[in-house]
Amino acid sequence: MAERDLDQALQRMGGARMSRRGFLYLAGLSSAAAALAACAGSSASPSTAASVAPSAAAPSVGGGASVAPSLSAAPTAAPSYEIEKQLYMYNWAEYISPKNIDEFKKRYGVTKFQYDVYDNNDALLAKLQAGGGGYDIASPTAEYVPGMVEQGFVQKLDKSRIPTLANIDPTFQKQWWDPNDEYLIPKDYGTTGILYRSTLLPSIPASWKDFYDLVKGPASGKTVFVDSMGDVFVFPLKMLGFSANSVDKGELDQARTILLEIAPHLLALDSNTYGTKMAKGEASLSLGWTGVLEQQMSKVADKGYVVPSDGTIYWLDTWVLLKDAPNPNAAYAWLNFIQEPAIQAEESDYNLYATPNAKARPLVDAKILNNQAIFPTEAELKNLEGSKDTSGNSQRTDIYEEFKQNIGKG
Amino acid sequence: MSTIRRARPAARRSSVRGRLLTTVLVLPAAAWYAILLISPLVIVTIFSFGVRAKNGGYAPAFVFDNYARAIQKSEPFVLSLEMAVAGTIGCLLVALPLAYFIATRVRRRKGLLVLLLVIPFWTSFLIRTYAWLLILGPDLGLAGRLQALTGADKVQILGTPIAVMIGLIYGYLPLMIFPLYVTLERMDRTLIEASKDLGAGRWATFRQITLPVALPGFVTGSILVFIPMMGEYVIPQILGYGRTYLMGNALVTDFLEARNWPQGSARAVFLIIVMIVTIAGYVWFVNRGRSTRDVSVL
Repeated sequence: MAERDLDQALQRMGGARMSRRGFLYLAGLSSAAAALAACAGSSASPSTAASVAPSAAAPSVGGGASVAPSLSAAPTAAPSYEIEKQLYMYNWAEYISPKNIDEFKKRYGVTKFQYDVYDNNDALLAKLQAGGGGYDIASPTAEYVPGMVEQGFVQKLDKSRIPTLANIDPTFQKQWWDPNDEYLIPKDYGTTGILYRSTLLPSIPASWKDFYDLVKGPASGKTVFVDSMGDVFVFPLKMLGFSANSVDKGELDQARTILLEIAPHLLALDSNTYGTKMAKGEASLSLGWTGVLEQQMSKVADKGYVVPSDGTIYWLDTWVLLKDAPNPNAAYAWLNFIQEPAIQAEESDYNLYATPNAKARPLVDAKILNNQAIFPTEAELKNLEGSKDTSGNSQRTDIYEEFKQNIGKG
Repeated sequence: MSTIRRARPAARRSSVRGRLLTTVLVLPAAAWYAILLISPLVIVTIFSFGVRAKNGGYAPAFVFDNYARAIQKSEPFVLSLEMAVAGTIGCLLVALPLAYFIATRVRRRKGLLVLLLVIPFWTSFLIRTYAWLLILGPDLGLAGRLQALTGADKVQILGTPIAVMIGLIYGYLPLMIFPLYVTLERMDRTLIEASKDLGAGRWATFRQITLPVALPGFVTGSILVFIPMMGEYVIPQILGYGRTYLMGNALVTDFLEARNWPQGSARAVFLIIVMIVTIAGYVWFVNRGRSTRDVSVL
């Protein structure tokens, strides 16, 4: 577990945003947490039970429509629900714009906006398994949501109360984690791609095919892959034109050939300090995530990031409404509010993550929108595929292990 | 008579009290072992016969497939064994002269030297391992210096098994020095004088007196060093750039990437069994013909 501690230590050093992606592959630990929670019993009773007693009507804020400045192109709902005076949110650190929180409080008469943070999905899961802690809303990564639905931690959404859902880009809808878009709302996303140092390479890669040629040629011995099975498989499978989540035997055999061919050319398999290796010039090319660009590589002038044109995977953080949410009406008001284009654009401006909200996209600060490491272009967006949990496929594990044993050997 | 009669209940009382006290004093340690050593072992053993749950983790079953695969995929194990044996020998080669020097040649400031050996433990193992990235690295480190000295195109130390070996020896060296130091420190110096008086040369004295005296320390040290080396993960990951795929790395793949806890558990149990057998055999081998002398294991 040392690596995990290290991950977290590095994250603390580099800010919470550095390797959000790194947490995803811990998804499997959930079953242990479940077992532990079962042992612990439901000791944690919703801490806010007392404060949830039906409050007196919030002063004249029956609906957002009457008060809200019309920021939204989408029809704003005029629900006749009485909005509670408080909202309890459990979320990642520094993931919501304080400006938006203030705006929400003002507009809906919410006086108490509780924003508590967790630093990985398992912490959220453990909280839910221990009774939920009385929260209304949380932001799990999409892969975690099916398990949460299965265990009954998440409510089915009443979509009629969230008209701004129409703003969400269809790329992020009807994915395997929520085939009918019943439980989650896309919040932020990021990609797996190619990091490079342009001055150390003869050409800049645009696709996995280019990447392959570079690794076998000029970047041989100077390429790092992140040590994450799901992400490593994206490269050979997408290069061959298959789904990144493929579990087809023949397709995986072909991927194996490429991985074993590439393995001797790699400098390292390293999820923690590949940015440092790039920054020092020890490596010129990486398969990885965008976080290190602004962290370990912040002082590198010739750095670049490419979403490969032959496609890649993305991770997605989501909004869910928790079971027994003490303030459901305030929660619905928030879920609708946050997808208003101007509000959502402010989110990206603040947290530097791409928004899946298509209407918000053009309103995002141009500097951020044009930063390839944050926002894929519209064209690249079409080649994105939601990352699926394929870790149960033993052929993948076998190939990955064989690949690891051959790194640098040759 | 009366004195005896009176004495007996008193003795019984005190022995009851003594036993009670013993129980109370032993209980924390026993509970510690039961909760933190025995029960995890039992859990890992149970897991090792299970199957992977649909979403990863463990689901109850009784199958032997995990062991079949653990044995079939034994390359990381064999590599770990090679590295751990070489690392143990390396530790001995470095530790023996040093321990001998501190134990027998230093008069004053002995305590200071021993303290210097302990000081690295005040810093996190992880941070010390990261420091080796700089020491061995291409910029100001050893690789860079060698490159400048030899004029070679590229000297690569990090990411090679050599870097892993340096890390292993560095990391576990104190665990070898201390037992050696303790045994050598207690050595009866008159034995050496007697040996010399009887005409033995330096080498003969070393071989026939010092080495046998140091042996228990070496056995203890090598076990303390060998066992953690077999499961080492951080060093091959950081200094080896993930290119030296040892048992610890394989376990991480099983548990965190494949999320196949039964598979990882089977590998872990397999490792534990082989280690127990190896070390039992080793201790037996060292002890044979030395039944009168104690070989301390700790």
